[in-house]
Amino acid sequence: MVHLEHVNCILGGAQALKDVTLHVERGEFVFLTGPSGAGKTTLLRVLYGDLKPKSGAADVAGVDLMRLRGAQLPELRRKVAVVFQDFKVLPERTVFENIAIALEVRGVSSVSIDKRVRAVIRALDLEERSYARCGELSGGEQQRVAIARSMVVNPELILADEPTGNLDSDLSRHLIELFKQFNTYGTTIIMATHNREVLSWAPEARQVHLVRGVITEAPPSAAGWVLDTKPIIGGRA
Amino acid sequence: MSTTKLFLRGVADMRRFPLPQLCTLLTVCMVALLAGTGLLILHNVQSEVLRTQGQARFQIYWKVGADLTAVEAQWTDLKRAPGIAEVSTFTPRAALSELMRGLAPKNSGGGLAASNGANGTSGASVGEDFAWLEGENPLPATALVSFNIPPDEQPEPWMGRMYARLKGLEGVEQVTYNPTQLTLATGWIALVQKAAWPALGFFALVVGLVVGNTLKLMMLARRDEVEILSLVGARPWFIRAPLFANGVVQGLCGSVLSLFCLKFLQTWLRSVLDVPPLFLKVEFLPLWQSVALVLCTTCVAGLASLIAARK
Repeated sequence: MVHLEHVNCILGGAQALKDVTLHVERGEFVFLTGPSGAGKTTLLRVLYGDLKPKSGAADVAGVDLMRLRGAQLPELRRKVAVVFQDFKVLPERTVFENIAIALEVRGVSSVSIDKRVRAVIRALDLEERSYARCGELSGGEQQRVAIARSMVVNPELILADEPTGNLDSDLSRHLIELFKQFNTYGTTIIMATHNREVLSWAPEARQVHLVRGVITEAPPSAAGWVLDTKPIIGGRA
Repeated sequence: MSTTKLFLRGVADMRRFPLPQLCTLLTVCMVALLAGTGLLILHNVQSEVLRTQGQARFQIYWKVGADLTAVEAQWTDLKRAPGIAEVSTFTPRAALSELMRGLAPKNSGGGLAASNGANGTSGASVGEDFAWLEGENPLPATALVSFNIPPDEQPEPWMGRMYARLKGLEGVEQVTYNPTQLTLATGWIALVQKAAWPALGFFALVVGLVVGNTLKLMMLARRDEVEILSLVGARPWFIRAPLFANGVVQGLCGSVLSLFCLKFLQTWLRSVLDVPPLFLKVEFLPLWQSVALVLCTTCVAGLASLIAARK
């Protein structure tokens, strides 16, 4: 699913990724760990085509990132869904609209959109808020909307950048369970986190550690990276 | 999703951002009004200059002894000719009378009646000298005709054509015009035309820059939407079409609104300026300029929206 060979990436004049080699097979659940500034987000940006590597070989879901042109970007983004720490939902649109938008851009019929969105809304326990504007939802609900939007299109790969970073422990655990559930259906998941508690909820997942743009498969046992277990935003409404 | 649906979505989405949309609409309207006011001034100055300066004057001489009834019929036709500004006609008798009046002393009544007096100054004696001509007047029927040179015509070819037309009238022996006057008219027209294009360019630039940047700023309110659409795999047209529709509607509504404001301004200016001693008649923009203002603003707004939606 993901094949990176000796990838180097420059960001703001500094080398954000150094000789990164990473292979993730279809159906794997991978945690990308490391301290803040280690290059986790940069690596994810490379994987969803937001940053072009300076050198190396990179292939994601069959798309060669080194030869990726603007017109091919939508093709990649239709295979790879992204979930962010800050949700990236449209606050003035309803839950239904926010989820449906991912299907609309793919030209799915309105009947099919209605069916699939309702199914995902039910799965993520958002039925009561279907027609509420996202700006009126709690942080946890907004994150579930973002996850629903990524899952409704049944992507080959989900990239999650600190998806639990703004959520409390209970809600974070609930979301990790959701990701695990989708992973069991065959979706490959790469999740960046620097929260050790999150790692403990999915012990079967592979951990890939990044420090200053260099990748190491196993995380260091010492204090090489920051522990963060404090919730920032309150739980589910 | 079809392009029509995307456009309709773009228009429908305008209600989601009422305040930025309203502010943008007002800005577009004000800028278009500013440009429209400039055009209005330019148009009226141009009309006034062409009305007062851009004229061509011809002196037409008919053959001596030409049938006066036929000549008068031609004068009537000339007075109805397009672009005519002024027609002064002289029958042979009136021409002789004018001539004698011109030659008579200032304290004399002049004219044929005065020419009958025997005593008087040398001027009177000159007048007296012509009195015997009354029976066999050698002067021809003449007309002094002024035309407004059409603004879209080159003066010299137009003058040539008009000269040929007048010369071709039945019974006409000679047509003259003053080359200096033609040069003056040509100069005024050239000046007005030279001033017009830079001014039009300037107004287009102002509309382009201000409307373009205003639309781009308005699109900032929708940058999250653009980013999210891009993240979920939307193709560029899917993202840009609604924004383009939004910009076009803003440009169209703003410019049409500005035309209403401009009409109000023109009506007010007319009521203020068309009074003694000014008598300035402020005209509204010609149709093509009104349409150009709307089209220019709408196109710029649409284009700015497309540019703003680029990554």
